[in-house]
Amino acid sequence: MKSYVLITGATGGLGKAFAVECASRGWPLYLTDLRPEPLELLAGALHRTYGVPVRWRACDLTDAGQRTALCEALRSEQARFGGLINVAGGDHEGLFCEQTSAQLRSIVRLNIEATIEMTHALLRLRDASETFRIVNVASLAAFYPMPYKATYAASKRFLLDFSLALRQELAGQGVTVTALCPAGLPTTPACIAAIEAQGVMGQLTTQNTGAAAAGTLDAALAGKAVYIPGLLNRLLRALGGLVPPTVVAWFIGRRWGAARRDLGNPAESSILVPEASPA
Amino acid sequence: MATNLTGKTIVITGATSGIGLATAEELTRRGAHVIGVGRSVGRCRAAEERLAALNPAARPAFCTADLALQSEVRRLAGEIRGLLAARGPAALDGLVNNAGTFTYWLALTTEGFETQWAVNYLAPFLLTHELLPLLAAAPTARIVTVSSESHAHTSLRWADIQLRRRYNGLLAYQQTKLADILFTAELNRRLRGQAPHVHAFAADPGLVDTPIGQKGTPELVQWVWQRRRDAGIPPAKAAQGIIALLDEGLAPRPDTVYWRHGQPRQPSRQAQDAAAAQRLWALSEQMCGTNNGSLS
Repeated sequence: MKSYVLITGATGGLGKAFAVECASRGWPLYLTDLRPEPLELLAGALHRTYGVPVRWRACDLTDAGQRTALCEALRSEQARFGGLINVAGGDHEGLFCEQTSAQLRSIVRLNIEATIEMTHALLRLRDASETFRIVNVASLAAFYPMPYKATYAASKRFLLDFSLALRQELAGQGVTVTALCPAGLPTTPACIAAIEAQGVMGQLTTQNTGAAAAGTLDAALAGKAVYIPGLLNRLLRALGGLVPPTVVAWFIGRRWGAARRDLGNPAESSILVPEASPA
Repeated sequence: MATNLTGKTIVITGATSGIGLATAEELTRRGAHVIGVGRSVGRCRAAEERLAALNPAARPAFCTADLALQSEVRRLAGEIRGLLAARGPAALDGLVNNAGTFTYWLALTTEGFETQWAVNYLAPFLLTHELLPLLAAAPTARIVTVSSESHAHTSLRWADIQLRRRYNGLLAYQQTKLADILFTAELNRRLRGQAPHVHAFAADPGLVDTPIGQKGTPELVQWVWQRRRDAGIPPAKAAQGIIALLDEGLAPRPDTVYWRHGQPRQPSRQAQDAAAAQRLWALSEQMCGTNNGSLS
């Protein structure tokens, strides 16, 4: 990769893993996330450790005005891009009826709107001399209707279908699109608690972010459509595909209902929490 | 009781619990001026009060810092320089790199380093660099980095030294403890030319009854750490071995790198690999941005 790879949500658990993995492969980086301080620290350390150019710019991707300003800045800086990793995404804890409309809107804005707009903008700033790699972070939740995470899972389904369709549309134009569909990732104390609440299954289906990031980049370079980290997760996905969606929803509802009771209904959080997803 | 350590100024990281707190307590009893480092303001304050109650004349002090971050290590060093300058001639007689952590799941710091690699290895490397001018300003000075016999179970995986792609918490822990010994050996080699009156040691505290390995880990792994803990000696006993290395009156052979309970020991073959030590040093300088430092 000679040109910049843009990573959204770059200072979160999975975003950092992608940033480090790209840098260790010698790829120039352009990082964005909500707050400037962690971006500056990460960019400095990556540049020092791996010797790659690292640029960054803070942006609230749920805000359409800020997204436009970011894309405007990218254009005026005349950076050329060889890849885009759409990591920024999230969910709000709580049942559908407990969530505020502002929270629901922010899920759609971040997971869907931001991904579409960044993809659209970056394709116009691509370095035509190399294959442009797009990675969209979906989730295993993309494959199933998920009670307790209805909006989140549906937004991930959008990303999966969007990725598959765009991949076909841009085939032959030097663009690949890969959807990453991980099970729960141990990125925050809340995510780790959710994995623990699932007992042995949580243990077995959980992959470390470093392995997930490395495997995803290999899959992207190979032009794969979908990448699911972990053999067991691939197997579960294959089995899940044989069962009607209404049955899957019933089964997940039962599992997650039990897991929620184990966790003790967590206090509704006012911020977007990153991918705490199912298995 | 006046001892060789009375009036000496010694920095101890991870000094709010376990081996670090026990070392700080014993040093304070012996009249040393301890500057402790901890992550939580509340725990630092509690530890400071505990030390002051043991020996108010020793004037213990604490600084709060998250050693997982290099930016925090640098800020901490500045704070220590300020504390020392306020007390008179700025010199430091000892540094105990004790703070250590265990993480079961791969966790990257804000700066993108694997957390155990950052806390258990890079922080001692960088803090030693930052404080070296103060240590060199003392008539003699000692640097003790807490390692572990578990270093002998592994070698450094150069292709993926932070184990990001194939992470295993225990393996990552063992690697950091091996890296601590290699760092100490290479540090001594460099100090011989730059500051021959400063000596570095790596200490194996043995199995100690401390709460490491109990947070954010699955029950099975907690159980393993708990068994280690049950077989362990009290922290106060482990502290004796560290204090022996700080006390120049006990004069440990400065050419011996690895110690347990105040006795010289042979570390693993991998830990004695001079070429690996130099390679690790160069890599660590790049990671910490110390390429233009006094030890380069």
